[in-house]
Amino acid sequence: MFFTIFWISGDDAFYHGGVVYPSPKESNLFVSLGHHMDVYFPPCKRSRITAPFIFTEKQKKLPSIDVLPDECLFEVLRRLSDGKERSACACVSKRWLMLLSSIRGDETLVSDPSPILETEERSIKNAPVKPLDCTKKGEVVAPNGVEVDEAEAQDIKGEGHLSRCLDGKKATDVRLAAIAVGTASHGGLGKLSIRGSNPTCGVTDTGLKAIARGCPSLRALSLWNVSSVSDEGLSEIAQGCHLLEKLDLCHCPAITDESLMAIAKSCPNLTYLTVESCSKIGNGSLQAVGRLCPKLKFVSLKNCPLIGDQGIASLFSSAGHVLTKVKLHALNISDISLAVIGHYGIAVTDIALIGLQNINERGFWVMGNGQGLQKLRSLAITACHGVTDVGLEALGKGCPNLKLFCLRKCTVLSDNGLVAFAKSSGALESLQLEECHRITQAGFFGVLLNCGTMLKALSLVNCFGVKELAYRFPPVLPCNSLQSLSIRNCPGVGNATLAIVGRLCPKLTHLELSGLLGVTDEGLFPLVQNCEAGLVKLNLSGCANVTDRSVSALTELHGGSLEFLNVDGCRYVTDATLFAISNNCWFLSELDISKCGITDSGIASLASAAQLNLRILSLSGCSLLSDKSVPFLQKLGQTLMGLNIQHCNGVSSNSVDLLLEQLWRCDILS
Amino acid sequence: MITLQSSDKDVFEIEQSILIQSGTIKNMVEDDFTFIPLPSVDTETLIKIIEYMKKHADKTDSKEKNIKEFDKDFMKKTLNELFALVFAANYLHISSLLELLYPSIADRIKDKITEAIRQIFSIRCDFTPEEERRIIMDNKWAHEGTEIEGTLD
Repeated sequence: MFFTIFWISGDDAFYHGGVVYPSPKESNLFVSLGHHMDVYFPPCKRSRITAPFIFTEKQKKLPSIDVLPDECLFEVLRRLSDGKERSACACVSKRWLMLLSSIRGDETLVSDPSPILETEERSIKNAPVKPLDCTKKGEVVAPNGVEVDEAEAQDIKGEGHLSRCLDGKKATDVRLAAIAVGTASHGGLGKLSIRGSNPTCGVTDTGLKAIARGCPSLRALSLWNVSSVSDEGLSEIAQGCHLLEKLDLCHCPAITDESLMAIAKSCPNLTYLTVESCSKIGNGSLQAVGRLCPKLKFVSLKNCPLIGDQGIASLFSSAGHVLTKVKLHALNISDISLAVIGHYGIAVTDIALIGLQNINERGFWVMGNGQGLQKLRSLAITACHGVTDVGLEALGKGCPNLKLFCLRKCTVLSDNGLVAFAKSSGALESLQLEECHRITQAGFFGVLLNCGTMLKALSLVNCFGVKELAYRFPPVLPCNSLQSLSIRNCPGVGNATLAIVGRLCPKLTHLELSGLLGVTDEGLFPLVQNCEAGLVKLNLSGCANVTDRSVSALTELHGGSLEFLNVDGCRYVTDATLFAISNNCWFLSELDISKCGITDSGIASLASAAQLNLRILSLSGCSLLSDKSVPFLQKLGQTLMGLNIQHCNGVSSNSVDLLLEQLWRCDILS
Repeated sequence: MITLQSSDKDVFEIEQSILIQSGTIKNMVEDDFTFIPLPSVDTETLIKIIEYMKKHADKTDSKEKNIKEFDKDFMKKTLNELFALVFAANYLHISSLLELLYPSIADRIKDKITEAIRQIFSIRCDFTPEEERRIIMDNKWAHEGTEIEGTLD
């Protein structure tokens, strides 16, 4: 017996909410229904209902689960203890997902098998929990299906093996809720990075709360550009994630000291703290973190206008005995902060001070004289005009274990100060100077002559003050410790300087002369001749006036040690050099002859060198090469891991394709 | 005796001692109400609620087992009936009934896959296809055996 579906009876208004498609699968369309069987007719937007509806005299609207108030649905979902059940529910709809994610771990009710329904007892297997594979940041771990099945009846306790990284548009509250529910039973979320969320529907406190409730194993949290996240969300993280070790906040304008203090109170394992461009975070946070986090090792603060001397002072006075690495960048701090660091920083090994405008000479002097920086190994100062001769000398004296010193954009420091520093820092192994334009040749050589016995590496970059001086250099003892010298883009450096370098540094193994147009064969050759130790790495890129003469000669002199040669941009280097390399070099593994004047026969001679095992070869911009070099490249390709043939206009694309196909093990840039 | 009126305007007279299991009614009784309209509870549901309260009003040891049997049978209802009961019991603050209802409903959800849950409860999925794909990936094991396309990123 059939019913007519659309049948209005009586005076009841027919509430037409939309089109209804009776599902053909619904067999009870054709079955007689009792008069009391009413069916819910949903409002307009829910048009996917498949249940049929039939009118009786008393048309009633019965609720479906979706009109249960949130607190009731919440209570139902709370009773789902198994991760798999919860995961299935998480995918049902946004409302279900958000409710699920708001259940705290301890709010889940592990139900006794309901006495009401006749379900089987859930047997809890005592399978040992296998830790799931750890992951690189940014990748998702898909759980091993087999392992998960075995542990099905037992939630895998979160051990924090998983990482998630949400970027841009993908960073939404819904996604965070899904992660919170999903990772809880997969091994637990360990690292979470949120980068730049969408301003209209991005990450807010709701999403962060979901993580806070669902991911107690969270160890590292990174929030960049999340303007909608405030103290509310971060405080929840503090409450829920007590294992937090790393916190990284960048461009979070709504976060204030309040939540950071909460983190300090509740997360005793906090080890790394990075705060950048957070306009409301200030001294209170530093004070709290210093006092309450005994494991704090690394602090990096950048561009936070509310952070001042008080914060730095309280941080160091409380935590100076544990802090090891500190970076202070573009902060409104003064000499007082440096004084405190100099006195209290007894465990500090690395300090970076960048763009500190309010620090004067006195600050550095006091820091050096504070007697606290006994363990300081690495110091990097950039764009601080307070670095003067006096201050730097004090630092050299006050940091007896300083091994690495890097000075950038300090235009006040003169030769005297530099030399005094070199004299006083006996343990210095590496010195890097960049854009220190007051330093001249005298300072450069002064360092080499006065440094301690440990100086191994010296680097000068963009120092315009180092110019050729027309005076005779007296005979001096060479600096036998220096192994690595790098001079880049110092336009005043030419042959005369190199000649002196040759006399002063006989033990060089790593030499970089880059972008020095004043250097020609006349200066290069005596230098490499004087290198007794055997050059291992030589970089002459941009020294456009160097020719085959010196380069071939040096392959002969150092063929037994040379592993890395870069003559990028030296257009006067031709096949002759390649021929010399093939004859003389035994251990060459990386060769860069970009934009050189080489041709196919040069490549041929390289290929014919049986002893050569080139791993990386760059021929970018060698326009004289043609398809004839391809078979030789194939031969070289047997050992090559990387090949750059970009802008080799003479090589056809067919040949390139051939190479790509044949040298499948090699990374080819074309 | 207290008079209850359902949304369909049916009236029921029940003893006060039975009705105080409902927190809402109890409060109103304490404020000296004897006629209590319940516009959000229909007759059918109200009948069931009264039945429940009557059974549970008399809690002596000998009846303990009977009550358990009754509860078991009481939960053998359709989902829509259970939802109506939750709605009403929530409004009336009958916590013991809610404690029965929630696990029962939860039990009907257990062991179901997402699509089945949606069909049973007539819920429309409001995730965008992209969101849905990602959520499924994050909760993959709930969909073991179903086809999942693509990777997470």
